[in-house]
Amino acid sequence: MSKNENTLKRHMGLKAANRISNFFVYLLLIIISVVWLIPFIFIVLQSFRVESTYQVGYVIPQQWGFDNYLKLWNSDFKVWYLNTFIIALASAVLITVIQLCMSYTLSRFRFKMRGPLMRFMLILGMFPGMLTMIILYRVLSDLGLTQANAVPGLILVGVASSGMGYYVSKGFFDTIPKSLDEAARVDGATRFQVLYKIILPLAKPIVIYTILTAFMGPWGDYVFARYVAFGTSSGYNVAVGMYSWLTNDQIARMYTTFCAGGVIVAIPVTILFLCLQKYYVEGVTGGAVKG
Amino acid sequence: MASVKLTDVKKIYDNKVVAVHDFNLEIKDKEFVVFVGPSGCGKSTTLRMIAGLEDISEGTVEIDGEVVNDLQPKDRGIAMVFQNYALYPHMSVYDNIAFSLRLQKMKEDVIYEKVTNAAQILGITEYLMRKPRALSGGQRQRVAIGRAMVRDSKVFLMDEPLSNLDAKLRNQMRAEIILLRQKLNTTFIYVTHDQTEAMTLGDRIVIMKDGYIKQVGTPAEVFEMPKNLFVAEFIGAPKMNIIKTNLLLEDGKYYVTPFGAKLPVEGEKGRMLSEKHAKPGEILLGVRPEHIHLAHPGETAIPCKLVVNEMMGSELHLHVDTNDGTRLIVRIPTLDLDNSERNALVSGHEMHISFEGKAMHFFDPTTEDNLLV
Amino acid sequence: MKQYSDLEFLRLSKWHRFTYKIAAFFRGIPKAIASLFWTVVNLIKTGCKKVADEFMDIVTTFTKGDWKTKVSFVVMGFGNIARGQILRGLLFLAFEAVFIVYMFAGGGYWLSMLGTLGIQGPTQDYDPLLDAYTTHYHDNSFKILLYGVLTIFFIIAFIYTWRVNVKQNKLSEQIIRSGKKLKSGKDDLRSLVDDQFHKTLLALPLTGILIFTVMPIVFMILVAFTNYDGAHNGYSNNLFTWVGLDNFNTLLSWQGGNGGGQSYSATFGEILTWTLIWAFLATFTNYFLGMFVAMMINKKGIKLKKLWRTILVLTVAIPQFISLLYVSKMFARNGLINLALMDLGWISQPLPFWEDPTWARVSVIAINIWIGIPYLMLITTGILMNIPADLYESARIDGANGWQQYTKITLPYMLFITGPYLLTSFTGNMNNFNVIYLLTGGAPTNPAASGAAGSVGYTDLLITWLFKITTGAESQYYLASVVGIMVFVVVAVISLVVYNVLPSIKNEEDYQ
Repeated sequence: MSKNENTLKRHMGLKAANRISNFFVYLLLIIISVVWLIPFIFIVLQSFRVESTYQVGYVIPQQWGFDNYLKLWNSDFKVWYLNTFIIALASAVLITVIQLCMSYTLSRFRFKMRGPLMRFMLILGMFPGMLTMIILYRVLSDLGLTQANAVPGLILVGVASSGMGYYVSKGFFDTIPKSLDEAARVDGATRFQVLYKIILPLAKPIVIYTILTAFMGPWGDYVFARYVAFGTSSGYNVAVGMYSWLTNDQIARMYTTFCAGGVIVAIPVTILFLCLQKYYVEGVTGGAVKG
Repeated sequence: MASVKLTDVKKIYDNKVVAVHDFNLEIKDKEFVVFVGPSGCGKSTTLRMIAGLEDISEGTVEIDGEVVNDLQPKDRGIAMVFQNYALYPHMSVYDNIAFSLRLQKMKEDVIYEKVTNAAQILGITEYLMRKPRALSGGQRQRVAIGRAMVRDSKVFLMDEPLSNLDAKLRNQMRAEIILLRQKLNTTFIYVTHDQTEAMTLGDRIVIMKDGYIKQVGTPAEVFEMPKNLFVAEFIGAPKMNIIKTNLLLEDGKYYVTPFGAKLPVEGEKGRMLSEKHAKPGEILLGVRPEHIHLAHPGETAIPCKLVVNEMMGSELHLHVDTNDGTRLIVRIPTLDLDNSERNALVSGHEMHISFEGKAMHFFDPTTEDNLLV
Repeated sequence: MKQYSDLEFLRLSKWHRFTYKIAAFFRGIPKAIASLFWTVVNLIKTGCKKVADEFMDIVTTFTKGDWKTKVSFVVMGFGNIARGQILRGLLFLAFEAVFIVYMFAGGGYWLSMLGTLGIQGPTQDYDPLLDAYTTHYHDNSFKILLYGVLTIFFIIAFIYTWRVNVKQNKLSEQIIRSGKKLKSGKDDLRSLVDDQFHKTLLALPLTGILIFTVMPIVFMILVAFTNYDGAHNGYSNNLFTWVGLDNFNTLLSWQGGNGGGQSYSATFGEILTWTLIWAFLATFTNYFLGMFVAMMINKKGIKLKKLWRTILVLTVAIPQFISLLYVSKMFARNGLINLALMDLGWISQPLPFWEDPTWARVSVIAINIWIGIPYLMLITTGILMNIPADLYESARIDGANGWQQYTKITLPYMLFITGPYLLTSFTGNMNNFNVIYLLTGGAPTNPAASGAAGSVGYTDLLITWLFKITTGAESQYYLASVVGIMVFVVVAVISLVVYNVLPSIKNEEDYQ
């Protein structure tokens, strides 16, 4: 190879190599996008299938129709949906308040028990949460908050322990300079006014993140909801209810209905999520890692 | 307007680290006091204890005769300017300055009056609508000062307010702080690590190190009569040359022998040594760079070799090595030398230097205290 | 082995450094154990000294205090009221009153029964009125244990409050002696939104955690030392009682079967191994593939970055139970994939995605990647963009190629920043109930391990096993709680070790 050719190649190389690697990256990204979206497209398509209520070996329905959605309307799905919505709404409000109290305090106040408290909660978090279900179920049932009254029971349990999930928002509060608090205190603000007038307006992204995650959580909550509402359909949330459709004796009749239900559940949550995506990403990248 | 008195103030952190030891100081009404020292010396901690942002572990802080140890910052009658300005990012400049007044439930008319007045003094009237992030560093600094001004506080605290500015702006703001002080006519406590700021601003300077006060005095006092080696080296730039040498007493006259040259201690310093009955022996001799001159012919002089010649414009900083390898700095006004003399000052140039008795400072080699204080 | 100085260490080759570090780690173990031992000893020492100091302080407060203080030792809050702090005093007094009433009304009973968890179980008594046997219920082990624990909590709270009450008297006396004024009730209330604001903020969250997390955990730890199960539910059939360490013996010894022909310890070992493998693979496949996807999207010259991200993020938005259940059915024996492949004639038999142990394990990990990558992509995107560009520029000038840039700059930076996240993610995956339960429910069944404690499958994690034990036919709660404690031990040990070697904890400033 002559020297001239060699330099030519070296000069050409960068651009060409870039173009080739970009091509492969696009190819991969397209494949990934397809793989990631396909199940959801399938769900939507199958929810409109009329000819069979069970799994089939093709995706595009031979007969289109709203039968499955009608079936949903005539089932307990409405109740489950309402239950879940109430739980999600109540959790979103209460969990946000509790987590913000907790994380703001641990980020800003230096009191004697702060270190031990945080270590204690770290250790508590190492116990599997499922362990406590047995007794919580009994306590709730003594309070009359199970089965048909599962909704307030689930809200109570979900909210009560939510203080332990303070990490993400504390990470965010830690990034707000402490001198702002101090300046406000010198300016004459009480601690409460500091929180209310200075910190909360600045913490908008993390407040929205907390509300969003607290709202989305109950939509997928299966295990404890099953435990608490066991056997009483009017206390189910969507996850428990729709899970029962996929058991061996129901699946042949309810499979496409499940798909329709999935669409109905996913649409509002997904829209909400996509609207607030910015804050979610900020919360995840800002706080979750430090956690 | 108030006096501030600190009695045996101590700061001990949870991990038993003592940040401030037995701090005693009385600041008079309308005085401008500067706390200065290297980072970690406890100067900011002391200021924050006065402000109420740190707990006082021991001792008492009095403002205007009242013990304020257990008062919240807002109840102490103080205003404070922070190093990073601490402007509320979500509020306009106007709202930032008005914040404390609104908390006092003042009428909006009065607030308007006060805010615009302060803005006018500081020259930020046209920025009142802006958010802090749309301001330059110098403008933010002014807003921070404006916010403290409108509080009409008894004591004005400033925690390294200029250290985030570039050198040029810093000089400008320094002059403005002097003007501000004349306008406000209140008690100022100012924290800095920059000795130039301390010297130019302070009525009195408190020099701190490792939590201890090393000296309290007027700028002239600490410059001319540093109590100890630390103060001597900290104040003045470039810093004082320290030479390990001997003090001799012959026929009632004191001599020092830096690098073999026997220099008499003449004038007032010699008299003071006699009054203190200074014992001859090993000492640390301090001479400021500006007090060393190039030796005249026939003068007792120290031979040395030039290493680096820094041309600063109005003066030359000569880094020279003596015969035993000690590095000294000599500061010579540029105009003292003519062109050919200056051109000769290249690395390796052999030269002679000397200094007079009045320029000498004597320190005990073990206690590092000034022998004359 | 030779110990190197810092400079000597830097001269070593890469492989040499690595082995040296490992050797140093093992050499450090005895020292670490010794230091742990001494910390514990010191802790006990200081603890004892503190208790002694407290006692001395209480005694001197009593002997040196005035009569108001002395009365306060019996009537809590008396000193406060007598000195004008009505609000505080009344709160103390009310607390004491509630405590006394509670102890007489029931607390004493619960506490006295705690040692036995009940004496008299349900009885069949002849009822002459009805001329039939009716069941009479007596003690209730469950309630005894629950309220016993609560009562102990309450007593501790009472002792603490009493101590605060004594301390307050001492302080008040000091303040009055120094000629200052005591805080009024108004001051107290005001300080709750100011210098004591943290107490106000924490009151609600901590109460919730205490009642709904701490108390249940204490209760369940205690259950591990009883024989509480479906056949001993403590009330309607049999009482349950303390059995000491029997349950731990059962789980950890090699003898004894659980009905399926295998000892509990073997079953436990199998599930634990799979749990650890799963957690490791689930964490690191997601981590590296997520990072890979993030880097592809971040690559210079790639357009539509926002679109690619949004497509992936969609999967985060859709509730997991929908996507997991759907995908689980999609891969089922008669699911979409198998049916379609058979229709196409590519296979004649359905692929055993959930029926064969190995297939099932690979499938859950693969589907977990599908679930996890978008999340990891978001996390790593943020960090990748934060890596200073000049690091890459200087590496390129130093002659590093793409792969070297990745291994020498990107990866160390990422691992450093995400170290703590990886740890939580690992322990989170160990307890990842949703993915396993919704995908496979633990299937396929492992006949040797299944038995009295419920069916056990090849994809079961400790956490799903725990769930199955409690919901299984015999509801062996005691076994579930032993397993729960074991999960805690494993998680705690891993966290402790990792925390101690994690550079992001040790040298926090390195990359800032």
